[in-house]
Amino acid sequence: MFAAGLKCPGCGSSNIVDDDLYCQAQLVCVDCGSVVSEGTLADDPVGGTDVSYSRTTAVTKKPCLNLIKGLERVKEMCRILRLNSEIEDLALTYFRQAYQQESFINVTLQKKEVLAGCCVYVSCRQRDWPITLGTISSLLDADPTLVGGVYQEMIKILNIQAPFVSIADVIEAHVQEYKISAQHVAKELAEDSKVLTKRAVALVELAGDSWIVTGRRPLPIMMAATYLAWQSLNPNKHRLKLSLDKFCHLAKVQKRKPAVMRITELKEVLCKLGRELPWVRETVTQDYVVRLVGDILEHRHTLLTRALRTHETAMQADCPQASALNSPTEEVAPSQCSESRDQTADASSALQLCPTDRTENQEEEDSHQTEDPEPNWGKRVLFAPPCVVHAKRRRAEPPPVQNVTGDEEISDSEIDSYIRTPQEARAFALMQKAVSSSGSGNS
Amino acid sequence: MDDLALERYFDDSIANDSSYMVEEELDLQSSLKQSHASHTNSRNSSNLLVPATAATHQNPELDVLEDSGINLDNSLHGMAAVKRQVAVDLGSKSNASPFCPMTPMTPMTPMTPVTEKSGIIPQLQNIVSTVNLGCPLDLKFIALQARNAEYNPKRFAAVIMRIREPRTTALIFSSGKMVCTGAKCEEQSRLAARKYARVVQKLGFPARFLDFKIQNMVASCDVCFPIRLEGLVLTHQQFSSYEPELFPGLIYRMVKPRIVLLIFVSGKVVLTGAKERAEIYEAFENIYPILKGFRKQ
Repeated sequence: MFAAGLKCPGCGSSNIVDDDLYCQAQLVCVDCGSVVSEGTLADDPVGGTDVSYSRTTAVTKKPCLNLIKGLERVKEMCRILRLNSEIEDLALTYFRQAYQQESFINVTLQKKEVLAGCCVYVSCRQRDWPITLGTISSLLDADPTLVGGVYQEMIKILNIQAPFVSIADVIEAHVQEYKISAQHVAKELAEDSKVLTKRAVALVELAGDSWIVTGRRPLPIMMAATYLAWQSLNPNKHRLKLSLDKFCHLAKVQKRKPAVMRITELKEVLCKLGRELPWVRETVTQDYVVRLVGDILEHRHTLLTRALRTHETAMQADCPQASALNSPTEEVAPSQCSESRDQTADASSALQLCPTDRTENQEEEDSHQTEDPEPNWGKRVLFAPPCVVHAKRRRAEPPPVQNVTGDEEISDSEIDSYIRTPQEARAFALMQKAVSSSGSGNS
Repeated sequence: MDDLALERYFDDSIANDSSYMVEEELDLQSSLKQSHASHTNSRNSSNLLVPATAATHQNPELDVLEDSGINLDNSLHGMAAVKRQVAVDLGSKSNASPFCPMTPMTPMTPMTPVTEKSGIIPQLQNIVSTVNLGCPLDLKFIALQARNAEYNPKRFAAVIMRIREPRTTALIFSSGKMVCTGAKCEEQSRLAARKYARVVQKLGFPARFLDFKIQNMVASCDVCFPIRLEGLVLTHQQFSSYEPELFPGLIYRMVKPRIVLLIFVSGKVVLTGAKERAEIYEAFENIYPILKGFRKQ
């Protein structure tokens, strides 16, 4: 075959053929035999192969390196947390599934690590192993917000559900972290872990019943419960003197700021119950109540009933009419106490009037709602969520505009008020130019 | 459900209504069925505050039943919830007895849709709407000529314009599309959008007012009693997401109507995702009996 247009540099003839006989393509002059040009020795075109690595079979044969690393991380975390093999397998499955998804395949390595942690977390929850997201965050040494975001995304993509973890389950594991057994601290400050756990669980259950737990982060509550349990198990002067700060320092755990508020709230609840103890002569203050915690927890159901009854009579004495018009009040109802439930039933029976009266109540309610939050139902019941009792003050809402049809006339003057005059526009343009030029001058 | 629990369950529902003088031997089923009907009838006439759309959900055959004179309050919290929730959720029928949350109630009646008016009306807080002005816009020019506009192309590719009455904010894009937010009712949103269009018109663009559509409505209300979110997430697991470590409220994704509700322990409820006002009212009427079921726990 003749290659047109080429001249042999040796003899000048244009008789050049394409020689494919050998593995290297060559253009050879027929007359003198010199090689005019030759192809590259390698078969690959410049710039790599035609087929990219990600499309070759090598990808399926050898999984992605980060996937392997992620799986190893999952196994590592399961080992640290001492989880059983079932949870580990489930976590690995989830990780493999999630890793392939679009939103997790091209993310930072940190996010992939966080994903590994979230898989472990979900598996624990699904197999009834109590664990908090805070634990996972500290294991990963990652921002809890980031972990939360990845967790939400993951369960949405994998379309799985994680059953709710109650705080009473988690507290046992939480108390184990505190190093205040006899071998760590002095005798009068030491406490056996089992005893401490038992009391902390009781305190947490009480907190749950009295609306301190719902909607709040669990860790500060658990810390508050542990602290109060520790103080109350042996309320000698050493323990009572120790603040939460020093206690956390002693037990080598990191203090959480909200725990201080939770302690106050828990003590308030304990005070309300402690007042009902018949053998207590002195006034039950926040400081004094710590000594009574043991008794309060032992008889808490009875005390609850009594406290509710006292509260009812107090409310009715205050305002006999108001109790009939009040919006239905909420009382604490411990699950085993049918007596207290009858109590609350009796109390609210006054409120369950016939429909006509009910509508009156509703209208009252509605008018109350539109008014200032003055009739705060939280202040009228014995136990209410703290966010209701200390309700934020709302700024006065402007009255809702009535009868806007959407098709009204729009006055020209109103629209003109939104448009700059020519002078204004000029001045603004000059100012912008000046600002941008000075800005570029400085930088 | 063991006997003791069953007894307690009935005690509870009887104890809830003082006007219910019946002893346990009486046929609970028939009397409750009757009284529900009468209850709804009387409630319907007396409650003027509920908008017409909600009333139409009532089953017309209920009007035929006699007025028995017994007026029950909503003790069968599960009943209203059943008619609304299309979802395959047996748990929602139960009134979440503390002992066995997933036990379905013995079916009292065929599923007659009973409307339990809560008497609380969610207040609209925000309306998001979009409109097409129908012509490309020069955002730099608008930002220069309009007093109430801001434009940072490096941060966001739209002009942010605000008007005082109705107090709203608009995002105006160079394609001519506009998003209007902050209005408290549909009509106000439409009026505000028209005002923005008029401003753009005055600036010299051939702006029109095409395809005005409400995209999202947000409302809130207060049921005035605390809610056990832990209980709610247990019985309505398929719809609820409650992670106290991440967010203090429970996120309830209702299937019909497709509304997302944020339920807080204080009893405040935020409803969002609606395209029409009726959806919000319907969603709230659906959730109210469920929430009441978690009150005395």
